[in-house]
Amino acid sequence: MRHAGDTISAYLDGELRPEEVHRLLEHLASCGRCSAEMTALQGVRSSVRSLPMIELPRGTLPEAEVTPIPLRRNRGFIAAVAAAVVAAVIGIAALVTPPPESISVEDLNSRFGARLSLDPAFGPAKVLVPETVELQR
Amino acid sequence: MVEPVPLNWEEVARVYGRKIYNFAYRLTGNPADSADLVQEVLLRVRKGLESYQPGSFDGWLWRITRNAFLDEVRRKKRRPQISLPDEVDRWDIAASPSADIEYDRLSIGDDIQKALLELPIEFREAVVLCDVVGLSYEEIAAATAVPIGTVRSRIHRGRKQLRDVLS
Repeated sequence: MRHAGDTISAYLDGELRPEEVHRLLEHLASCGRCSAEMTALQGVRSSVRSLPMIELPRGTLPEAEVTPIPLRRNRGFIAAVAAAVVAAVIGIAALVTPPPESISVEDLNSRFGARLSLDPAFGPAKVLVPETVELQR
Repeated sequence: MVEPVPLNWEEVARVYGRKIYNFAYRLTGNPADSADLVQEVLLRVRKGLESYQPGSFDGWLWRITRNAFLDEVRRKKRRPQISLPDEVDRWDIAASPSADIEYDRLSIGDDIQKALLELPIEFREAVVLCDVVGLSYEEIAAATAVPIGTVRSRIHRGRKQLRDVLS
């Protein structure tokens, strides 16, 4: 019986034609030796592939800036976590805070006016609010 | 299929510099030699881009890279130098601010790196081009100027030797 040989590596690398894949899988089903080799070489291949990418030493490229990609990936992750935390806080705040009643222009005027009378430095000289506008929640 | 070609060597440096460095580092295990190789390759790319014919850019670039690597190996053989022990390179790295992190990153896979260095150069080169650089068999064949069947056999035999060394 002919063993699978280097078609095992070619299979792992996606370099076999469909009919070759078919033949290989058929052979593996009945050959313990080649199945074991497949498992072992799959492990070797992924070990080599998981070797860390090493950054260029500084000064290797005097005129070109090299962007370190892994840092970016980390930054993206941190940004995602931060965004999730912010979203959660907003969500909780929205749940906890009772929805405001509809606010009329009069309400605004009276609140604003109260602040104005206590704090002369607060607010613009004149607030222009169309009288018909009503702020809904 | 014609791939988009980087217009200038700065772009090649930006996009491929780190990969070329890792190719050399995995073949030699030596940071200083690997950095030298990156610079040598970029010089050759700068000259070669003038006469570059559209085709497989990866095939073209990696042919330049491995030829530069082989020239370097031959040069070193003619004029043997006292090579620095590994520890000195590590000290160099230890002078940089992210020393601990970088040291950890380097020591992950130390056993695999050692095993790679035990392979015959043809097998090592094929495995590194496949599994570190990520080239297809066709691109490796173009880069190393051998038939695809030879690439396939070298990668397979390289991996089998790695398995034997690592087990």
